[in-house]
Amino acid sequence: MPVFKAPFNGYSVKFSPFYESRLAVATAQNFGILGNGRIHVLELAPGAPGVTESVSYDTADAVYDVCWSESHDSVLIAAIGDGSVKIYDTALPPPSNPIRSFQEHAREVQSVDYNPTRRDSFLTSSWDDTVKLWAMDRPASVRTFKEHAYCVYQAVWNPKHGDVFASASGDCTLRIWDVREPGSTMIIPAHDFEILSCDWNKYDDCILATSSVDKTVKVWDVRSYRVPLAVLNGHGYAVRKVKFSPHRRSLIASCSYDMSVCLWDYMVEDALVGRYDHHTEFAVGIDMSVLVEGLMASTGWDELVYVWQQGMDPRAS
Amino acid sequence: MEKATERQRILLRHLQPSSSSDASLSASACLSKDSAAYQYGDDVVIVAAQRTALCKAKRGSFKDTFPDELLASVLRALIEKTNVNPSEVGDIVVGTVLGPGSQRASECRMAAFYAGFPETVPIRTVNRQCSSGLQAVADVAAAIKAGFYDIGIGAGLESMTTNPRGWKGSVNPNVKKFEQAHNCLLPMGITSENVAHRFNVSREEQDQAAVDSHRKAASATASGKFKDEITPVKTKIVDPKTGDEKPITVSVDDGIRPNTTLSGLAKLKPVFKEDGTTTAGNSSQLSDGAGAVLLMRRNVAMQKGLPILGVFRTFSAVGVDPAIMGVGPAVAIPAAVKAAGLELNDVDLFEINEAFASQFVYCRNKLGLDAEKINVNGGAIAIGHPLGATGARCVATLLHEMKRRGKDCRFGVVSMCIGSGMGAAAVFERGGGVDELCDVRKV
Repeated sequence: MPVFKAPFNGYSVKFSPFYESRLAVATAQNFGILGNGRIHVLELAPGAPGVTESVSYDTADAVYDVCWSESHDSVLIAAIGDGSVKIYDTALPPPSNPIRSFQEHAREVQSVDYNPTRRDSFLTSSWDDTVKLWAMDRPASVRTFKEHAYCVYQAVWNPKHGDVFASASGDCTLRIWDVREPGSTMIIPAHDFEILSCDWNKYDDCILATSSVDKTVKVWDVRSYRVPLAVLNGHGYAVRKVKFSPHRRSLIASCSYDMSVCLWDYMVEDALVGRYDHHTEFAVGIDMSVLVEGLMASTGWDELVYVWQQGMDPRAS
Repeated sequence: MEKATERQRILLRHLQPSSSSDASLSASACLSKDSAAYQYGDDVVIVAAQRTALCKAKRGSFKDTFPDELLASVLRALIEKTNVNPSEVGDIVVGTVLGPGSQRASECRMAAFYAGFPETVPIRTVNRQCSSGLQAVADVAAAIKAGFYDIGIGAGLESMTTNPRGWKGSVNPNVKKFEQAHNCLLPMGITSENVAHRFNVSREEQDQAAVDSHRKAASATASGKFKDEITPVKTKIVDPKTGDEKPITVSVDDGIRPNTTLSGLAKLKPVFKEDGTTTAGNSSQLSDGAGAVLLMRRNVAMQKGLPILGVFRTFSAVGVDPAIMGVGPAVAIPAAVKAAGLELNDVDLFEINEAFASQFVYCRNKLGLDAEKINVNGGAIAIGHPLGATGARCVATLLHEMKRRGKDCRFGVVSMCIGSGMGAAAVFERGGGVDELCDVRKV
C-alpha cells in the first residue's frame, strides 16, 4: 500500500475528483501550533505500490485543510493558519503560486469545501466563529455567516442542493444553511461537546453525520432532527473527521485522536465494520476516492499519508 | 507566541475527558485495540482522611476511653468535614486486630450510630494484622472500583489498653512439623532481632532511626503539621488513686519524646534477647487510636464539588518469611509501585510503619530510598502503632503532607510489615492542585 512521508505533520488529505491517482495533502510544522505549512500533491504509481510527490507549495503558516476545485482539474484551494485562503494552480510552476490569496478571516481557517454542484464557489470555516462563501470570479467573499459562538471546524456543501451547506462548531451545534436565506435554517444541538466535523450522505440529501470531542459519531436526519438516527461509539478519543462514502449509502469513515481510522455502517446493528490502527500519532485526515470504489487515504501527526483499499492492511507492502 | 498558546489551548480542549460517559453500548470489531481509553471519572479518590491522636496504651490519654468512642470521633469528623450525607455511604470497613472478633464488629456498628450514620449504612471489620487499616482502605477502593457503591469509608481502630496482645488457648502440636508455622509463634520482638542479626543492622543504626523519628515527630507537632489530620476527641480521664473522672480533649500524640538522644537510648537493655539490639526505645509504642479515610468515585467528588486530597492507585499484599516478618515492606513496596506503572524513583514520599527500627532501617536500605522522603513527620516509634489503625493513620499523614508539598510531590506510598510474615503497600497520587484534567500524557 502506498505510504508517503511528509516533513511536517499531516492535517488533511483529499483525492482529486478528476484523476484516480492524484491526491493533495495539507501539512503543518510542529503539529500546526507554530511554524510553516506545506501542501503536497501526490501521484500514485499505477499498479505498483508507490507514491511520488509531483509538486509542493510552502506556506508561511500551517495548512489546516485543502480541497480540489470541481471545475478545474489543476486548481487547489488551501485553508491557512494565518487566516488566509489561497488558490493554487498545479499546472503552473511554484513561483507562480498561489495564484490568489484572500485575507479576510480574522483567525485560523480550519476547513475549505468546494461546491460540487454549482462548481463556481467554495466555503471556508474559521476559528473566528464564521463561515465565508467565496466565488471563483469575485475578489472578496460573497457572504459571511456569523451565527456560531465558537470555532467552526467544518463547513460542507450538500451533495445535491447547490445552495445548502452544513457547519460544525465547537459551540456544540450543527447548523444547516441555505445561502439564499438570511440566517441558518436549522440548528441541531448535536453533541454535548465540541463538534469537530460533519459530512453529508451522498445518496440521501437529508442525512448527515457529525463527530465530536465526546468520542462519538452521530448520524442525523434533518427531517426529524430531535434524535439522531444512530450513535456510533468505539473511538477512544475525540473524533477529528467524519466522511460518508461516495459508493455505499450507509458507509462512514472516521479518524480520531485515538490514532485509529474506523469504518462504520450506521444501518447495521453492530455498526463498526472495520478499524485501522496504522497511524502512530493522532489521525486527523480521512478521505474516500470518488473514482475508485473502496480506495481510502488518511494522514496524521505521524507525518505519514497512507492510501489503501478497504479491507486491506494499510501497512501491507 | 500568543498564537501558539491559543492554538494549543484549542487543541487541548479536543482532548478533554468527556465526563458524561456514555451508557450506550460500544460497537466493536475483531480489529479492536486491546486497551480502552483511560476513564478519569472512574478513579477512586480520597476526599478526607482523619485520625485521632495516638496515645500510650494503659498510661496515655485514652486509657479510660472506650474503643468505639475513638472510631466514632473520626467517622463523625469525615462527615462534618465534607458535609457528605451519611446515608450515601455504601459501606464502612474497619481494620482492627486485637478486639475480640464479633464484639469488635458490634462496637464498630455502635460507633457508626454514635457518629450519626443511619442503620442503612453497613459496617464490617477486617484483620490483616498491622496493615488492617490500610487493607480497609484498599477493600473500599476495590469495592468502589467494582461498582458495589460510589462512596465508602476505610477506617482503623485499636485500643491496646483494652485489648493487649497475647496468644489465647493452646497450640496445635503439628506446629512442630512445619518450621514456618512454628515461626508464626515468634514474638514480634524476636523477628526484629532476626532481621537485625541476619542483615547486620547495628544497634546504633536502630537507635539513630528512633532518635530521628522522635525528632521529626516533635518538630511536626510543634509546627502544627498534625492539626489538620488529627480530630480532637472529647473524653475523660480517671485518676487511678481517687477514681475521679475529669473531662479532657485529646488532640496531641502523647508518646513523642522530643529529648530522645543516642546516649539515652544506649542505656536501655534489649528486651527480647540477652545480647540483642531491639529495645523499648527503638521499637514502636503500644498505643490507642483510630483513623478513617473517605473514598469515592472521582465523578461523585466532582459532582459534589469536594476537593480531592488524593487518588488511590494500587495496593499489594505479599508474603514473606515469618521469622523475619519485618522485611515485608521491602517486598510489598516494589510490587505496589510496579503495579502502578512507576519506578521507586517516581515516588516522592513514603510512610513506612516503624514496627521496629531494625526492619525499618533494613527496608530503607534494601530499597535504596532517600531518607529525606521517608516518615518526614516521624513514625510509629515516636507517634505510636495502634495495630489496626496504623494503616489509616499513615494514609492521613501521607496525604496531608503531600497536599502541603504541592506540585513537588505527586506520588506517595504507605507500607507496613505484618505479623506472621507479610507486607502490604499502597500507592497514592496527590489529587489537589494538579494540572487541569487532560487525557494527554506528559512525555
